[in-house]
Amino acid sequence: MNSSSAEADRKRRFDRIVEVFYPDMYRYAAWLCRDKAIAEDVVQEALLRAWKSLDALRDDDAAKPWLLTIVRRENARYFERRRLETVDIDNLTAAQAALLAEAPDEELSELREAIFELDDDYREPLVLQVLMGYSTTEIGELMGLKQGAVLTRLHRARLKLKDNVAQEERS
Amino acid sequence: MNCEDYRQQIAADPAFDGGAGHLSECADCQAFRAEMRSLNVKIGQAMQIDVPELKVPELPTIDATNVVPLTASAPLSKPAWFAVAATVMLAAVIGVRMLGIGVSYDSLAEEVLAHLDHEPYSLRVSDTPVTSARLAKVVPANIAQPDHSAGLITYAQSCVINGKRVPHLVIQGERGPVTILLMPEEQVDMAESLDGENIHGVILPVGAGSIAIIGTREERLERIEKSVLNSVRWST
Repeated sequence: MNSSSAEADRKRRFDRIVEVFYPDMYRYAAWLCRDKAIAEDVVQEALLRAWKSLDALRDDDAAKPWLLTIVRRENARYFERRRLETVDIDNLTAAQAALLAEAPDEELSELREAIFELDDDYREPLVLQVLMGYSTTEIGELMGLKQGAVLTRLHRARLKLKDNVAQEERS
Repeated sequence: MNCEDYRQQIAADPAFDGGAGHLSECADCQAFRAEMRSLNVKIGQAMQIDVPELKVPELPTIDATNVVPLTASAPLSKPAWFAVAATVMLAAVIGVRMLGIGVSYDSLAEEVLAHLDHEPYSLRVSDTPVTSARLAKVVPANIAQPDHSAGLITYAQSCVINGKRVPHLVIQGERGPVTILLMPEEQVDMAESLDGENIHGVILPVGAGSIAIIGTREERLERIEKSVLNSVRWST
């Protein structure tokens, strides 16, 4: 196979994978960093990393966890480089506020804010389970946690959200 | 299963379908399950944020014909380290300059650590060496000087670091796999320490290039450093 043909095949493969999983990459990044602008940066870097490492992906059926792992690492790397401070819900940047502003109704808006305010340790497994369709075993593998720890975090995350929703309803 | 156990399960995973016996007799848990499932649907809706249009960044050119697929190596009948010893060659390979903009890392050290993150499967404890043919393909003999072994090489891949293709080898150290990246075109002024999660290492200046050596925290790298440095003579 000549060089241009091989490169074209490689690019087609990359485009096919990215087209399918880009929304998952972006949403995962956005909920990890809670900032739409940073999420776009993280995804851009993740796409470049994925392009450079594409030959390490031997089975396209494993593309989703492979891409999400790259997003997770690029997100961690982004924050290591910039050493950003913890997000303060009462003092959001425009890009952080944009994440909360799009909910279609008030109930979902409040729930989105409650998810936004969850600790990273609780929010990430919840995003992986609900949005990405990961099993608790897969979450444990990605986050380096035992299954029991994953179950505990998910349980606590939902109870926090449930309490939050109940509180909003009362007020 | 009692109420507490059931509710923990269903709150951790609303799709949980165990505990049918308890559920059939407990109206409160039935209500709790319905509440959790309803909440879960709403959580999913709340997480569905709008996704901006895909903008693929400018992608660097990768020499796709030069990519070496990973294949399983057959075990050797002789002692593995002996067989490999004669084939250890440390070298420079074809540097393929990237076109366009790549991921910008603040330093070579950061790029090296990022690369390790993306090939975790290379860091396996193994007594199966790569074949001589594979090693020769990743570390071409016409560019490298064959030398004595620094250890049992269990992984060899041509990888891209800082836009250039470099040999990525893994040697079995005393406390686990040790990564060696041979970077003939990455000049560094002095030795630079590398620190990552549970790993440590160094980038050593070698002539006009450098070599990164990274092992587990417990690994004594000095022995491997000496061995690798003694074996490398850039031929470019």
